[in-house]
Formats: sequence, structure tokens, C-alpha cells
Amino acid sequence: MASTLSPIAPQFDDAAQQRDASNLGIWIFLATEVLFFGVLFAAYTITRTQHPAAFAVGSRLTDLPLASINTALLLTSSLTMALGVHAARSGERRATVGWLSLTVGLGVMFLAVKGLEYHADYVEHLVPSLNFSYSGAQANEVELFFYLYFVITGIHAAHVFIGVATISVIAFMASKNAFSPEYFTPVDLTGLYWHLVDIIWLFVYPLLYLVSRS
Amino acid sequence: MKQSSVASTRTYFISWCVLLALLLLTLGSAFISLGWLNTAINLTVSVTQAAIVLLFSMHLRSAHPTLRIVASIGFFGIAILISLSLSDVLTR
Repeated sequence: MASTLSPIAPQFDDAAQQRDASNLGIWIFLATEVLFFGVLFAAYTITRTQHPAAFAVGSRLTDLPLASINTALLLTSSLTMALGVHAARSGERRATVGWLSLTVGLGVMFLAVKGLEYHADYVEHLVPSLNFSYSGAQANEVELFFYLYFVITGIHAAHVFIGVATISVIAFMASKNAFSPEYFTPVDLTGLYWHLVDIIWLFVYPLLYLVSRS
Repeated sequence: MKQSSVASTRTYFISWCVLLALLLLTLGSAFISLGWLNTAINLTVSVTQAAIVLLFSMHLRSAHPTLRIVASIGFFGIAILISLSLSDVLTR
């Protein structure tokens, strides 16, 4: 009961009602995030139906091993996040801080791998508007694939970065004993955001990296 | 909108194992030449993985129906956006 943040705001009857309102709010926000990425996936779908061969070529030029490692990293970070929320709900302060820190570490590793991948793309002259050069057929269409590749992975990486920053703050708050089994909403909501970023990657991975690998 | 039963840590570990197994499945299937089935398998695996995360990690399995409806709005939006856009592009 050592919670330092005021557990119940005056407009709510009780903690449960407050938690429900917060949950509804974050899910509305997450729905807009889904729509935000949905536009990119729609652009991808239409462009791919028009230029299937170029997308096959473009996808084969991406780094599959690094992307697969990143997928495993994000899936694992989702597990540690879920365990962090569970620990916060159970009032285990040290476990909460530990799991959240591990999640931050995995998120940073994801971004580091992404950086390696972008660096390799730059070296191989695959960055549109910067140094794109491809000598095979349908060079313009392959460049179109790489536009989508950088916009989709870039915006996703920005979400991972925001998640890492938010979880770091939440972990710090947890270490200061800000949460209790009665009040752990910030941990819960940050977890939901993190899981959604994971879900988006689960679609980015096959659509950008797994096309025509056989 | 009471959040009733809470998933145990065991559930999280099991879903993590299933998610990683599905990752290997989708990755492995990409190396077998199956034509359009490759994309179908990849996307089916993605939808299954997303469902596991939504239901267990994000607790939609035990959430109030209002919350589930709100959670599904974004996905319905994407479905409408992509299917109507394709109905234009594919019938030109």
C-alpha cells in the first residue's frame, strides 16, 4: 500500500472503474495505431499486386538472418514485458524492475540490429533518394519496394524507440515504489503498447523479408 | 468492465514457445517453393501469432466485450481499406 501516485482520481468511483477507463483509452489509441500502419500495409499490397516480380527481387536483397533474429528478440521482449506487468500486478517491485529492464535491453538490441541492417543497405546502395543503384531489370519498381521497406521499418523502429524510452521511465518509477497491486496502470498500458508494436512487426517480417525466398 | 481471470506466468511461457515455433515454421516454409501458397502460409502464421499476443499477452481473452470490440475496430478498418482498394486495382 506504499503507492506514492494518487491511486484513484476524483472522477472515478473506485480503482476498478479507473482501470477500465484507462484500458478503454489505450485500446482506442492502439486502434488508431493499427490504422496508421494499415495505410502502409495497404500501399504495400497495392504496389506488390502491380509489381510482383520487383517485390520478389527487392525482398531477396533484404537481410533475412538479421530480420529473423529481430523477430525472435521482439517476441522474447513481449514475454519479458508480460512478466513485468504480472510482477507489478503481484506487487513484486524487484521482479517488476528486473523484467522491465530486460525488456528495455531486448528493445535496444532490436534497434542495434536494425542499425546494422540499415548500414548494410547503405553500403549495398539500396537506400532510395540517397544512393539507390540497382542494375537489374525493373530498377524503378525495386526502388519502390525499398521506399516502402524504409518507411515501414523506419516508422516501426520509431515505435520501438518510443517504447524503449517509455518502459525505461516506467522501470524507474517502479524502482521508486510508484506501483502497487491496487495501482499499476502505467505498467499495464505500456505493456499493451509494447505488445502492439510486436504484433505489427509480425506482419512486417513476412511481407518485407520472406517474399520469394525459395 | 471487470477484468476477471488473469493469465498465469505459465500461459506467457507457453505462448512464447508457440510464437517462436511459428516463427520457425513461417521462416522454413519460405524456402519451399509453393507459389502463392507461400504468402498464404506466411500470413496465416502472422494472423495466428497476432491472435496469440492479443488474446493472452494483451488479455483480450478475459476482457470485457466492449474492450474486444474497440480492439477489433482497427483491424476491421484495415480489412475494409485493403479489400476496397484491391477491388479497384484488380478490376481495372
